[in-house]
Amino acid sequence: MNFGFTDEQLALGATVRDVLRAHCPPAALRSERRPAWEQLAELGFFGLMLPPEADGLGLGLADVLPALEETGRACLPGPFADTAVVAGPLLAGFPGLASGEVRVAVLAPGQAYVADADLADLLVLAGPQGLRLVRGKSARLVRRDGVDPGRPLFGVEAEESEALDGSAEHLLARGAVATAAQLVGVARQLLDVSVRHARVRTQFGAAIGSFQAVKHQLADVAVAVEFAAPLVWRAGLSLDKGGGVPASGRDASAAKAAAGEAATLAARVALQVHGAIGYTEELDLRFWLARAWSLSAAYGTTAFHRERLRTAITGGEHPRRYP
Amino acid sequence: MDLDFSLVEQGFREEVRGWLREHVPGSLPSMDTPEGFEAHRGWEARLAEARLAVVSWPEEYGGRGASLVEWLIFEEEYWAAGAPARVTQNGIFLLAPSLMRFGTPEQRARWLPRMARGDDVWAQAWSEPEAGSDLAALTSRAEPVPGGGWRLYGHKTWSSRAAFAGYGFGLFRTSGTRHRGLTYFLFPMDEVEVRPIAQLDGLPGFAELRFDGVCVPDSMVLGEVGDGWRIAMATTSSERGLTLRSPGRFLATADRLVALARDADPVLVDRAARCWVEAEAYRLHTFGTVRRIMAGQELGPAASMGKIFWSELDLRMHALALDLLGDRAEEWLDGFLFSLAGPIYAGTNEIQRNIVAERVLGLPR
Repeated sequence: MNFGFTDEQLALGATVRDVLRAHCPPAALRSERRPAWEQLAELGFFGLMLPPEADGLGLGLADVLPALEETGRACLPGPFADTAVVAGPLLAGFPGLASGEVRVAVLAPGQAYVADADLADLLVLAGPQGLRLVRGKSARLVRRDGVDPGRPLFGVEAEESEALDGSAEHLLARGAVATAAQLVGVARQLLDVSVRHARVRTQFGAAIGSFQAVKHQLADVAVAVEFAAPLVWRAGLSLDKGGGVPASGRDASAAKAAAGEAATLAARVALQVHGAIGYTEELDLRFWLARAWSLSAAYGTTAFHRERLRTAITGGEHPRRYP
Repeated sequence: MDLDFSLVEQGFREEVRGWLREHVPGSLPSMDTPEGFEAHRGWEARLAEARLAVVSWPEEYGGRGASLVEWLIFEEEYWAAGAPARVTQNGIFLLAPSLMRFGTPEQRARWLPRMARGDDVWAQAWSEPEAGSDLAALTSRAEPVPGGGWRLYGHKTWSSRAAFAGYGFGLFRTSGTRHRGLTYFLFPMDEVEVRPIAQLDGLPGFAELRFDGVCVPDSMVLGEVGDGWRIAMATTSSERGLTLRSPGRFLATADRLVALARDADPVLVDRAARCWVEAEAYRLHTFGTVRRIMAGQELGPAASMGKIFWSELDLRMHALALDLLGDRAEEWLDGFLFSLAGPIYAGTNEIQRNIVAERVLGLPR
């Protein structure tokens, strides 16, 4: 029993944080579609989960969770998670993945649109016939309105596609956990920014953060994030273990639902604490608000995962808690 | 990072499970009745005989030096087995950590083994009529007696277990104001005037205490005179943190709810599944806390987040049980009433939210 990240896992997270601080500042969110991509590639980010024979490090999902949390903290745009974590391991045979030259976007089971499809060389589409692989060049993309300027959505049509080995269920679970880790980072950043604002903004001669009505909302966000994060770590461990599919699907859904709720609560409170200035295009806060909303809907909405949890927990073969 | 139990831990779990399967009694009368109090003490004595009453304590005091992970395993099995509530709880979970840390060797040897067996049951005496959430406003005082010892004066209330307990512990002012000049005293209940107070269930789960010159020797002072606030805070931090409410009881409640909800309306099933996951989240979070404690870190104000989380989860779980069972909820009624006390005792959840905001997040007072 050693439920916490290792020094190596934390060091990877810290390295990604430093790269993103330097190369994905808030200003980049207004001008670039995939800031810090090249720098992450140099770091080996896109090979982390690929097997050694594909020039990767063969790490597990749990290993990269702190790094994914940092991408959420930085509100990093671009199809980095689909490429490095969600679909990359299914496509390990493709040259150029580990180096970050090839970018991948995913249509998750049950979703209508693909985020960042216009940046992708390869599209992995989950459908009734299982997983299909489409070349970016051969796909027709229709831009759809979405809530997040940093995660544009596209309808995808393709005449040519090939079957792809791999389980859509597993793809969904991995995507849900990777997204949940980002949501935890988004929530932490929203909380930090809101606390900072509440300490300096004064009304009635006092910092608004000294008022209990404000304090208690922020404390609730802290509690929600504090208890969502361990569900995400647990899901990472479950998926890495493989084998116990019912438990790993259940744990992925628990992680995604809890992280989505924590992040949307953090967004709601952040907006309320900031007041009118928070409701502007001008303030950078908008990027994190949008990311909380858009990622909550990615790889299954909260309601979708709650439905799966109902089945997994109260359905027939519910895995026991205790070994 | 892993969530695996070692072979030793697994073996311990099996031993505990096996023993409980054979020994857990059917439901005992409430511990807040004279016969129930004695029945619960008897149960504690049987647990102590099997050296299962206080597994994490050193062997010399009746424990088996179990690790924190093993203690959590014990708690999971204890509540899953439907074993009785712990009448010794105030002593073993609130006072004992302070005794171990601040007590003299004589105090530890004198009180801990008796506490572990249920020979002595301890009542807590923190609150006063005008000092609840604002504990530092307390006015009960202790006066030194020439030649040694102290006399206690004042008025305590909401004192859990005091209707039947033999001993109590609490803070009394020996000098100063507010947090300074408070001293941590142990006292026998014989000379204290006890007025039991019926709780929502009609039974005297707590009491009002009046001290009119109750004599205690110097050996009943815990730690240094005037250092009581620091000692009490160390106690209440462990109360809010790990020891007061381990995940085991919430896991057991959630598992019972899931079994009840199986064929219920989907809205209720959804609430049950959510409770199951949240109990699991508290369990996982606790494993993380244990890792930090074993690495030598203090729990600190972060303990307040746990108290908010489990007490409000417990409320939701018991409300759901009543919604699931309607007028057939009789087995859940005691638990329902008890869950309503969770956001109040050990520092109200409003105070906990202030602590999180000010001391975890750094918002101004």
